[in-house]
Amino acid sequence: MSALRTIATVAVSVFRESVRDKVLYNLVAFAVMLMAASYLLGQLTAGQDIKIIKDLGLAAIATFGLMIAVFIGIGLVWKEVERRSIYSLLTKPLSRAEFILGKYCGLGLTLAVNLVVMVVAWYAVLAYMGASVSPEVRASWAAPATDPGMLRAVGLILVELMLVTAIALFFSTFSSPFLSAGLTLGLWVIGHFNADLKNFESVVTSPAAVWLARGLYYVLPNFSAFDIKQQVVHAQPVPAAYLATTALYGAVYIALLLVASVAVFSRRDFK
Amino acid sequence: MRRAATPVLFVLLLASVVGLQAARERSGELPGTYDELLYVRSPEALRRMSLSYHSLLADVYWIRAVQLYGDTKLGRRADRGYDLLYPMLDLTTSLDPYFDVAYQFGALFLAEAPPGGPGRPELAIRLLEKGLRAQPDDWQLHQAIGFVHYWSYQDYGAAAEWFRKGSRLPGAPTWMEPLAAVTLAEGGNRNASRLLWQQILRSASDDWFRNEADRRLKQLDAMDQVETLTRVVATFTARQGRPPANWDEVIRAGYIRGTVSDPTGAPYRLESGAVSLDPKSRLLPLPKTAGEPQ
Amino acid sequence: MDAIRTEALTKHYKVGFWRPRPYLALEGLTLSVGRGEVFGFLGPNGAGKTTTLKLLMQLIYPTSGTAEILGLPVGSTAVKRRIGYLPENPCFYDHLTAEELLEYFASLFGHAGAERRRRASRLLDEVGIGAERRLQLRKFSKGMLQRVGIAQALVNDPEVVFFDEPMSGLDPLGRREIRQLILRLRERGCTVFFSSHVLADAEALCSRVAIVARGKLVASGALSEILAFKVHGWELVVSNLTPAALECARTSGRVTRAVPLGEDRYALDLPLSAAPEQLLGELTAAGAQLVSLTPLRETLEDFFVRQVAAAKNDRGLG
Repeated sequence: MSALRTIATVAVSVFRESVRDKVLYNLVAFAVMLMAASYLLGQLTAGQDIKIIKDLGLAAIATFGLMIAVFIGIGLVWKEVERRSIYSLLTKPLSRAEFILGKYCGLGLTLAVNLVVMVVAWYAVLAYMGASVSPEVRASWAAPATDPGMLRAVGLILVELMLVTAIALFFSTFSSPFLSAGLTLGLWVIGHFNADLKNFESVVTSPAAVWLARGLYYVLPNFSAFDIKQQVVHAQPVPAAYLATTALYGAVYIALLLVASVAVFSRRDFK
Repeated sequence: MRRAATPVLFVLLLASVVGLQAARERSGELPGTYDELLYVRSPEALRRMSLSYHSLLADVYWIRAVQLYGDTKLGRRADRGYDLLYPMLDLTTSLDPYFDVAYQFGALFLAEAPPGGPGRPELAIRLLEKGLRAQPDDWQLHQAIGFVHYWSYQDYGAAAEWFRKGSRLPGAPTWMEPLAAVTLAEGGNRNASRLLWQQILRSASDDWFRNEADRRLKQLDAMDQVETLTRVVATFTARQGRPPANWDEVIRAGYIRGTVSDPTGAPYRLESGAVSLDPKSRLLPLPKTAGEPQ
Repeated sequence: MDAIRTEALTKHYKVGFWRPRPYLALEGLTLSVGRGEVFGFLGPNGAGKTTTLKLLMQLIYPTSGTAEILGLPVGSTAVKRRIGYLPENPCFYDHLTAEELLEYFASLFGHAGAERRRRASRLLDEVGIGAERRLQLRKFSKGMLQRVGIAQALVNDPEVVFFDEPMSGLDPLGRREIRQLILRLRERGCTVFFSSHVLADAEALCSRVAIVARGKLVASGALSEILAFKVHGWELVVSNLTPAALECARTSGRVTRAVPLGEDRYALDLPLSAAPEQLLGELTAAGAQLVSLTPLRETLEDFFVRQVAAAKNDRGLG
């Protein structure tokens, strides 16, 4: 059986497992409720209701997606090893690389499906909002309520989440869930402060420290690049080139992490 | 007995919790709590810490700014005044530089003299110039700066210049250019002011903006009315040889038909021949315009 | 070509974080298993049986030495297509049902939908799982999980199967069923390699065995050779034995032990030297009746205990 089919088989199995996971359902249900509740919150903002629904929706999608990526990602490999189901699985005709890739794609599929559910709920609330105000108010908005341009931000969020998943998976190949979660979330936070590393020289005088900071800036994942939420809410232009290069950056970084994960996993002894 | 006790107990405790919370709310916060409204004063630091949630955080600060303004205006904040309004709006717009409404709110209310605002037009200008750095081609920001120059500084030349620059920008409404011209020619004149507010009333996206424009227009109407009534009283005085004691005399003399009230319904006062607004009228304080006594 | 062949297979673990010391799990294992054999891999707990199996499955990597299955290097996908493995105390995916698990594994071998279902169904029948096959595995008892484990090892009709403690968790009925299954596998020409510490199973099923203790191979060979003709005594069961006759037999030294079985019945152990026919004649003359006469052969257990004790002594550890 070809490698792609093997990977797909494992991916579908991961997807099936996450679909049967109650925690996941609760997370998604909560996100959907939040979308509905944002309608109420919109009443508080002295007229900026549509902005806050857009902001809140994007933030919820990003946050819940992050939680799913981290909390399922850290267990992807660890859980299999811990409950020893890996013994029977790895003796079937699949390589360790196919196993890792299959797990990754499975979680990616889960993430994508969850994002779609959340986006649908969000657009439903936005459509309702757009329909329930007067045409004058609607005319004063910078962008329509159900502006499809916002999907570009969702797209970059998905790439960002796939990168987080890859990081979580990498840690999951050799460390416990607790440590993996800490390291993954830590990297996510640091990845948002990336710009500060670049400007280190204005704060610190030692050239070695500046060099180190610069180096880290280039090597550590730059998560703030994936954030175009503010731009799409205000319908500011985002060049297609930016989207392409950022997505490419994400894809290459993901590939790097997957290669590392396969390398670590292939050398492991399963005692 | 046991079985029924648990849900009953639960409901009782829940009701107490809700009741206590309501009581706390009524008794108000501890003094000094308002300082905590701004945990972080540096906008750059806050933007960093918000970790890609800056838009949402901007919304939070916006809500707080609006509530702060409302509370201060209603006198709920004792001696604090409006001193947190500018920092709040500054944080809001640093977190979200495209937050147009926040700039407009600042332009309107930061420049407003007490008790309607802190009376700090220079802060309004500072806020708006910051906005222009992020969006140099935003016609609304140009209009807002022109507005501050017009209203707070009575600098009609500068105001007209800003309106003119704004009228050239993409998306600018067609009335901006004539507005610039009128401002230059008749700046300070009540007609120019009325034009400005009418445009704002028509194009304002938010209720508070519309309400404010409406109020200002009413103020202008009130000023017109005061002028008219002053003329009537002067005529009366000239004819009768003494000022009228009250409005009834004026009505009986046939100069006016009935009690006159300002556009908000508060009756005008007549004292020793001078016409003025009811001190409790919402339209006070009346704006200053060039050459007009307050 | 041998079904399984290992050459000086060795596995050291490093134990301890700061100053790792080597722990010898398996040392220099060399053995071969022919096609169609049922091979018993025996040893006490901790002897290295599971380590060997995991090395053969490439779940762990050897420190040195080689291993081949069907002439191919272990761990390659080509090999995995043709073998099956039952891990010790198997655990699977809790959220799947038994059917779904087998169908999932079947799909990894490239089988299409209908064929998957057929295989799953057939295997579950063969291991004795009935309507429970629709339940999620988290609801399965240990014995049922063991059966599912055996089923999943056979999902691809393998040429060589590896069972790690196949009877673990099964009740006597289950053990018998699995024994018969192993025999059926043998009839089909499948090579069966199983590790166990239950010697009775090995005795019943295996043609060849190997015994490991403390990581080393201590004995291997055909069962018949190991236990060949090592008759070391007799057991004579008689009834109606008078105490006098018994006493006489005892004192003459021809009976090493007499175990009363109740109601005048005795089991007498006779040493190899004593000719049982003679004693029998004497006792029957005294009125006793023969119930049974059995030669006492060394059991696998005796052999096993002997070898393991020797290994212990070799290692110099008490």
